[in-house]
Amino acid sequence: MNAPKPVTIIMIEDDEGHARLIEKNIRRAGVNNEIIPFTNGTEALRYLLGADGSGLESAGRHLLVLLDLNLPDMTGVSILEKVKNNQHTRLSPVVVLTTTDDEREIQRCYDLGANVYITKPVDYEGFANAIRQLGLFFSVMQVPETE
Amino acid sequence: MPITQTSFLRGGAVLLIVGLLALLAIVGSTIWLVERSQHYFNEVVAARDLRTSTNNLRIAMQEVETSQRGFLLTQEESYLEPYEAAHNRIIPTFEELRTIVERYPQYLDAVERLGPEIESKLAEMDQTIQLARTGQVAEAVEIVATDRGKEIMDEARALFTRIVADADNRLIEGVEEQRFSANLLRVVAIAGGFLILLVGGGSVWIALSYTRDLLAARQEVETLNAGLEQRVKERTHDLIRANEEVQRFAYIVTHDLRAPLVNIMGFTSELDQTMKSIQSYVLAEGGTLSEQEIHEARAAAAEDLPEAIGFIRSSTRKMDGLINAILKISREGKRPIKPETIDLQALLEANLATIQHQIAEADGEATLSVTAPRIVSDRLSIEQVVGNLLDNAVKYRAGDRPLEIRIVARNVPGGQVLIDVSDNGRGIAAEDHQRVFDLFRRSGQQDKPGEGIGLAHVRTLVRSLGGDITLSSEFGKGTTFSILLPLDVRTVIRSEAA
Repeated sequence: MNAPKPVTIIMIEDDEGHARLIEKNIRRAGVNNEIIPFTNGTEALRYLLGADGSGLESAGRHLLVLLDLNLPDMTGVSILEKVKNNQHTRLSPVVVLTTTDDEREIQRCYDLGANVYITKPVDYEGFANAIRQLGLFFSVMQVPETE
Repeated sequence: MPITQTSFLRGGAVLLIVGLLALLAIVGSTIWLVERSQHYFNEVVAARDLRTSTNNLRIAMQEVETSQRGFLLTQEESYLEPYEAAHNRIIPTFEELRTIVERYPQYLDAVERLGPEIESKLAEMDQTIQLARTGQVAEAVEIVATDRGKEIMDEARALFTRIVADADNRLIEGVEEQRFSANLLRVVAIAGGFLILLVGGGSVWIALSYTRDLLAARQEVETLNAGLEQRVKERTHDLIRANEEVQRFAYIVTHDLRAPLVNIMGFTSELDQTMKSIQSYVLAEGGTLSEQEIHEARAAAAEDLPEAIGFIRSSTRKMDGLINAILKISREGKRPIKPETIDLQALLEANLATIQHQIAEADGEATLSVTAPRIVSDRLSIEQVVGNLLDNAVKYRAGDRPLEIRIVARNVPGGQVLIDVSDNGRGIAAEDHQRVFDLFRRSGQQDKPGEGIGLAHVRTLVRSLGGDITLSSEFGKGTTFSILLPLDVRTVIRSEAA
């Protein structure tokens, strides 16, 4: 059995505090993969799909996207849409993290191809638990290589 | 000119009165003319009577004289027959004439004088006949030859001729007058008829045009009714849109307020964790600590503690900022509007002047074209709206070309004015056209400081003026913000208050 290639975690989160808390909890769960943080959608999309938006740059990468829905410059939904509609990135798992639990929005994200939807609860224990479970999920998950 | 109900009633009453007066005038003048006609008829009858009795008297006198002369010539009694017959007629005929003449004082004296003369003539003739009968024809002829009788006859004849001529004149005059009266009556009747026709026609015309106005008014009401439905539809649409915005606002506010809360709760828990490792170090009281514990405690004191406090503090500050921004927006919606007449040209020029140096720094230029010179609105609000848009145009200009700003203000149908503020800046992606107006939301590359409040503020201001703001933009080419405002903000405020 081949050892899985290291997965890079792309964290798109405008709130630095949230980013720090997520990172802390992921690390606490024993996940040591590289985390690349982005604080806005424009830069994250440039990294994911390249400056030309073709997505060729992501070919061959092992990516997992942590996505906040409310970004200052664009909605996370439009990032999700672009990622899931690009042939090079569509197989990368996307975990949506957001502060709202609006059911229509959750449904919309799943419709667009989100793999996991996590609400950031104000109750920190719940949040930390969710992230840690996510870490466990990462450790057993096989992330396919992007095409 | 539309006929109001009062003018219709007033017009109808006036026509009725005019018609009534015309009728009264016709009746009045007819009665007067008939009276006048009667009067002249009486005159004519009297004149004819005068003429007849005058002629009768003359004929009788002539017969008497002729018969007397015939007898004097022939001494035959048969010649006297007419004399006897006429002789008896003379006095009654004269009496008759005298009665008639009482109406004509101009003949009264002459006729009165004629009486004794006729008597003396008759007496003279009686005397001559008496003389002839007794064979004294010569004496009788002598009496006749005195010309006394002839003079009387001549005088009487002259008087008769005069009376008859006058009576003839009077007859002619009377007939003329009667004819004149008849003509006048005809004219009055025609004029009155014409007037009544006019009045009737006028009444019909007024009634018709009033009916027509009523129909037109009804049609207008129907049109207004249809317009009302259209307006209700528009208002409903506005309400739905406003409701959606309120929901989005609530969504944004709860999300954005919750985000710092997550941080505060999270880092408070982290502080808790940090505190535990520090506690175990500080409260060891001489007990042995593992290398690991010492390391953790030091890292906690040096890094984790300040980090957590820093995030808690910044999150609190952020939350305060958010609440202030929300308050500002909500106050803006409640700020009383002070309607005043605004010279758009001057206002927009002044607005452009405030960013002139920034435009100049960017090698840019600004053009202004105003064809809607005056509106009634709130000056402060419009200044803030345009100022905000111009600031954005400068702030988000494209770095690779000189800045161009263009403001066009013009009247549009529906009593509105459209102000377009266009730039050739970096533009806004299609999916963000609605989003940029939301509170705390921004679009495109985040390389300029900002909180995402400006356009939300602008939209609130424009809405409070009864207008709307939309944008059209092509990413990378430029953006045009279109502000639609009512020409007179008072009409909108009134109709909203109603």
